[in-house]
Amino acid sequence: MGFTFTNLAISVTDLRTTYVSEQGILDVLNGISLSIPNGQIFGIIGRSGAGKSTLLRCLNGLEKPLSGKIYIQKKMLGTKQSHERRKILHKIGTVFQHFNLLSRRTVLQNIALPLEIMGISPKEIKIKARKMADLVGLSDKYNSYPNQLSGGQCQRVAIARAIVSDVTLLLCDEFTSSLDPETALEILSLLRDLNQRLGITIVLVTHDMSVIREICDQVCVLDDGKVVEIGTIESILLRPQHPVTKSLISHLFTKDLPRTIHETLHAKPLKNDHAVLRLMFSGKTSSRPTLASAIQKFKVPLNIIAGNLGHIQEVTCGSMIVTLPLQGTPKKDEQLPKLLDYFQTHGIAAEILGYIPQP
Amino acid sequence: MTSLLLQSSLETLLIVGAASFFSVFLGLPLAILLNITSPNGLLPHSIFNHALSTLVNAIRSIPYIILVVLLVPITRLMVGSSIGTFAAIIPLSLAGILLVARKVENSLRNVDYELVEVGLAMGASKLQIISKILLYEALPSITADVTTVIINLIGFSAMAGAVGGGGLGDLAIRYGYQRYDFSLMIIIVAILVAFVQGIQMSGDLISRKLSK
Repeated sequence: MGFTFTNLAISVTDLRTTYVSEQGILDVLNGISLSIPNGQIFGIIGRSGAGKSTLLRCLNGLEKPLSGKIYIQKKMLGTKQSHERRKILHKIGTVFQHFNLLSRRTVLQNIALPLEIMGISPKEIKIKARKMADLVGLSDKYNSYPNQLSGGQCQRVAIARAIVSDVTLLLCDEFTSSLDPETALEILSLLRDLNQRLGITIVLVTHDMSVIREICDQVCVLDDGKVVEIGTIESILLRPQHPVTKSLISHLFTKDLPRTIHETLHAKPLKNDHAVLRLMFSGKTSSRPTLASAIQKFKVPLNIIAGNLGHIQEVTCGSMIVTLPLQGTPKKDEQLPKLLDYFQTHGIAAEILGYIPQP
Repeated sequence: MTSLLLQSSLETLLIVGAASFFSVFLGLPLAILLNITSPNGLLPHSIFNHALSTLVNAIRSIPYIILVVLLVPITRLMVGSSIGTFAAIIPLSLAGILLVARKVENSLRNVDYELVEVGLAMGASKLQIISKILLYEALPSITADVTTVIINLIGFSAMAGAVGGGGLGDLAIRYGYQRYDFSLMIIIVAILVAFVQGIQMSGDLISRKLSK
């Protein structure tokens, strides 16, 4: 498929890295192959230690893979220091978790760093740095120092610095985790804006599914240094296959659970317990009265605990947390599986999150 | 008496000034070398790093007055004589170089490695990372290091008298200690205190100006 290849921002084949520790040699990346088309916002998610940051560090040359090949815009990123390698890296921007701004440089001087390194004339640097500062909304902070800025502003400087050299690719490493949720959302919308206006391909690593849900087009789930699932954001969120994906998604929704329920939630049903279900709606199903008809059909007193209906980018979707009393003995509840089947056949993914004592 | 004090003050300034210059000029590269060859540095080389570090430590553990004596042959080779003001500069410079090397190495180590990674990920060369990131970020701290070293060198310079180097310290020992001229010694001490204060204050000022 020559055509698709020419349009790839990143192509990685069979990437392996190891980490030498006192306990011996550990495999970090275990044969990763990936292709990321130009213009996408691509999410890499996984639990801590899954190798997601290592993968990103391979892409910007900070980590040297043991084997495997990395192509950035069709050019191979070698491991040896060379002019070609540096030229590839000039066109990749990285945003780090802790901003990593130079404390003795002003906003403009920080943004200018990559251009200085490329040997661009001071006059041109000044014009470009100002343009970038304006683009990320820091036009009134040209001469401020990082310690005079808020976390969100620092991250804006870091983003401006990362893209100032007309990069085609922006890598973001857990960059929202040092920001408060509101600022994180602002920064995410800035990224989406940059992606749409400048066509920059963005790869972001996170352990937080809500970040992925917010802006990613495609997502790949890493576990134990392997890609365990990859697909569009809709398919991953609505039809997760791998247990790790499921657990990362369930975290997204248990976050929405009221505290009282979250604290008493347990995995095994006891007598008189109520089951806690998560129902996932997507696309057309959300317009049908499936919930109402289920209540009528099974005569179950469904109690809606939390709901979150909205959009994942353009697709209408959402989830709802409901509880219902168990029937009969906890081991042999006949109604619950039937109810789950009913939801399934009507296009609602239903999952038992756990059980709570009778409220 | 005033002319004696003036001459000694000038000698101290000359010795310490020259030694400070050499300390920074040669100590800084040594510090950078120690830093980049360390295990987490830009150019890790454990054997070289270990050897250099051991050598620096070994020489640093020699008491200064012994170092002066040990260096006599080298001093004679370099300035043609082992006594006099210029001869005093050689051992003082060596002590200063090593002090600067250790202190600045420590300051460079305190620059967050993540900042170095910023440079690496941008495709910066090692030289660019050293100049634009490591040294640049550490500059306020390096200024403070150099200030401390200069003050140390003023203290060491009192021993220049051992090789006939002159200077205020030498004067204080000869007149104040050996001739019991207590009042002269007080004056010398006051001058030395003023020197040290002046250097410390300007060092602090520069360091504060540089750090943002």
